[in-house]
Order: sequence, then structure tokens, then C-alpha cells
Amino acid sequence: MTLRTRRPVFLNLMRIAMPVGALTSIGHRISGVILAASVPAAIYLLALSLGGEIGFARVIELSEHFAFKAAAVIAVWALAHHLLGGVRHLLSDFDVGSPLRSARKSAWFVNLAGVAVALLAVVVVW
Amino acid sequence: MKFSISRYDPDRDERPYLQNFDIELADSDRMLLDVLLRLKAQDNSLSLRKSCREGVCGSDAMNINGRNGLACITPVRALHEPVVIRPLPGFPIIRDLIVDMTQFFKQYESITPYLINDEPPPEKERLQSPTEREKLNGAYECILCACCTSQCPSYWWNPEKFIGPAGLMQAYRFIFDSRDRGTEQRLADLNHDPYRLFRCRSIMNCAEVCPKGLEPVHAIERIRLKIAGVEENAGGLDVHPPISPK
Amino acid sequence: MLVFLVLVLVSMAVHPLAGHAQWRAWVAHPGITLAFGLFFAALLSHLWVGLRDVLLDYAKPAGVRNALLALVALGLLGLGVWVLVMLVRLQL
Repeated sequence: MTLRTRRPVFLNLMRIAMPVGALTSIGHRISGVILAASVPAAIYLLALSLGGEIGFARVIELSEHFAFKAAAVIAVWALAHHLLGGVRHLLSDFDVGSPLRSARKSAWFVNLAGVAVALLAVVVVW
Repeated sequence: MKFSISRYDPDRDERPYLQNFDIELADSDRMLLDVLLRLKAQDNSLSLRKSCREGVCGSDAMNINGRNGLACITPVRALHEPVVIRPLPGFPIIRDLIVDMTQFFKQYESITPYLINDEPPPEKERLQSPTEREKLNGAYECILCACCTSQCPSYWWNPEKFIGPAGLMQAYRFIFDSRDRGTEQRLADLNHDPYRLFRCRSIMNCAEVCPKGLEPVHAIERIRLKIAGVEENAGGLDVHPPISPK
Repeated sequence: MLVFLVLVLVSMAVHPLAGHAQWRAWVAHPGITLAFGLFFAALLSHLWVGLRDVLLDYAKPAGVRNALLALVALGLLGLGVWVLVMLVRLQL
């Protein structure tokens, strides 16, 4: 009896090579989603800080918490990676850094710079 | 040299599995295909497609140590051991390393890969200047091996809706052919919904793995600009020295 | 958006926050309020384009996809209204 129900497919992401550009790209998507998720919280904090003296003090108080600082570092990484990746996209739209060799170099730069900025943020909040 | 090759017999196996082989390399073994054919001589059930053995037919495209490539032009001694060989990602597996290319070719056919020109044919040829001909460089060389399309995440998630890098590069090849008169309908077709062309995120996996060193991602960029009405007078597409799997 | 971000960061570095009154006064400045408004308009539209793209890729059944898209659109509109109300209140 042949198994004719459905042919299997090889799609194990852990076994498929991810060139540097692919990492930049998925990082761009993940950082985008992280930023999108943090927008409501950011607006809330903004509203709180503008509402009155108590609200403002509350925001300052919250910013001392470890959880807040950790979230802030992640958000900073997300912003840096998304921003740099976005600029890389924009430049390639204008044919700057398009051929594979240059694209790889800019991809490495974006990946590393994002992490570097995040590390800087860790130092700042510590 | 050690190899782990994906095996799957639809009559016997529930799912594909890796089978280990250990074989002494002969002096005549230069490319991966040489070794695979010698392994097949030992175990005749090992199934794979192959034909020209020189990197122009595209039959022996497969996933080698995670990266798609043509077995016949992948130097075997440069490969990290154990060499893990799997079928092209995302394509239904018929048997061992043989995949179903139907969807891939359907997408290719859907972009009408032939010249559309109803003008009365001239005495000899439809003329084209060298500059006009240059625009096709970097696109016409495609051998439709599917290395690019099966390494494209956007194609993995939506193979029936997204045309994929190979198909889109051939769409470029005809859109930018000065002898073609079907430009408007070609562009309208690609602009028709957010899937056919616009799933491309410029991840660039296609350019990374193309065994001919082509860059479909840039063909897609040029089509986008044309849809947006931006005038452009670039020459051919970039071509780079192909990067073999390691 | 990038320009705005740079401006905010620079002005925050130059004028360290003393307290609520000063912060509120700075934001309530008509030019700054307008800048905030434009920033959020750009941000929410950018958010829409991005999230729509993610949903188009991964949400397969058409019904589910459209429902999620509608949800996101509504959510973003809600956020927009919230920001608008907040900024308008500052001017009153």
C-alpha cells in the first residue's frame, strides 16, 4: 500500500543554512513585532507622565525596576536593528550596496551594530 | 569520507530518515555527483536526478550541508564531514532526493515565459540593439534548477501564491526584453495581489545559493520600480562568482 | 520618524528632566505637540504596513487572516484616537 496521502517535505529550519542576510531579515521582522507590541505600553507611559505630578513620579518609579530595564534593553536592540535594517533596505532601493558582496557586508554591520547598541544600553541602565 | 543522505521510500517508510555512508574517495572523485553515483553503484535504490553533470541542466539540485547547490559542480573534498545531503527544502519529496517540481513549474508558466508580440514578423529577426540586449544579462542564464526558490522563506510560507525568485526573474527577463509587447499585462498580473510579487522581502537567500551566481532579488527590485513608474536605465543584472556549499 | 527621534533624544540630553511641570510644558509647546502628532501618525501607519505584511505571510485561512487584519486595524485606530485625545488635552 503506497502512502499517497501527502508527500513529506524537508523544512527543518535548524538544518537549513541561514546566510547572514537571512538573519538580518528575520531580525528585522522580529524586532518590528517587538516594537509594535511595546507601542501601547509606551503610549500609556507617555500619557501617565503627562497626566500630573503623581503620574510622572510613578513613571520614574517604574523605570527603576529590573523588569522595566530589561524590557528597555530589548526594546533598544529592537529599535536599533529595525532602524539600521530599514535604512539598509532604503539604500538598496536606491541601488546603494545592492550586489551580493556589498549586501553581505551591510548585513553583518546591521546585525553587529544592533547588538552593540543593546550592550551600550545595558551599560547605561546598570 | 562520511555522508548522511536523506532516504525515503513512499512504499515502505513513514517519513524520511538519514542513512550513513562511509566511502573511500577515489582519485576520479572531484564533484559530489561523482561520489553519489559511486554510492548508487553500491546501493542501487539510492534515487536522485542527474543529467549533464556539468552544471547546466539543473537536475541535481539538492540541499548540501544546509545550502542548496548542484551536486555536479560542488567540489566534494571541500565539504565538511559528515556531508548531510537532503532534498530541496519545502518541495514535496517523491523519493530519496527526488522532489516534486510541479508547483515550481506552475509558477514559472504563470508568468507567460514567452515573447508576446503580435506585430507582423519581419523578414529576418526582430532587431535589438546591444544595449537593449544587455538588459537580459544576469537573467537569461537561469537554468531553472530551483535552488533559489527552495531556499526562499517567502516561498516556503506561500508556495501557491508567491511566484518565487526563479519565476520572477523570468518575468523580469520578458518585461525588460525590448522585443516584447506584453509589458502592461505582465506588470498588471504581478501587481494584481499582495502575494504574486510582493511577498519578496529582499532576504537575498536566492542570490546566495544560485549555482550560476545570478541575483533574482535585484530583478524583483527592478520590476517593483517599473511598477512604480520609475524610469531606469541600468544595464544587465549583477552576477557574482557562485558560492558552493561547504 | 527618524528625524523626530533624533530631535527628542538630543533635546532630552540637553535639557535634563527636572520634573513633571517642565516636561509637560515642553511637550505642550504647539510646535512640539504637532511634531508628536506627526510622529505618531507616521508610526501607526508604519505599524500597519509591517503587521499586515506579517499576517499576509503567516495567517493562512483567509477568514482568520481577514479577522486578524481587522483586529489590528481597529487596535491601531484606537491607539491613534488615544494619542490624539492626549495631545489635544495638552493644548486646552
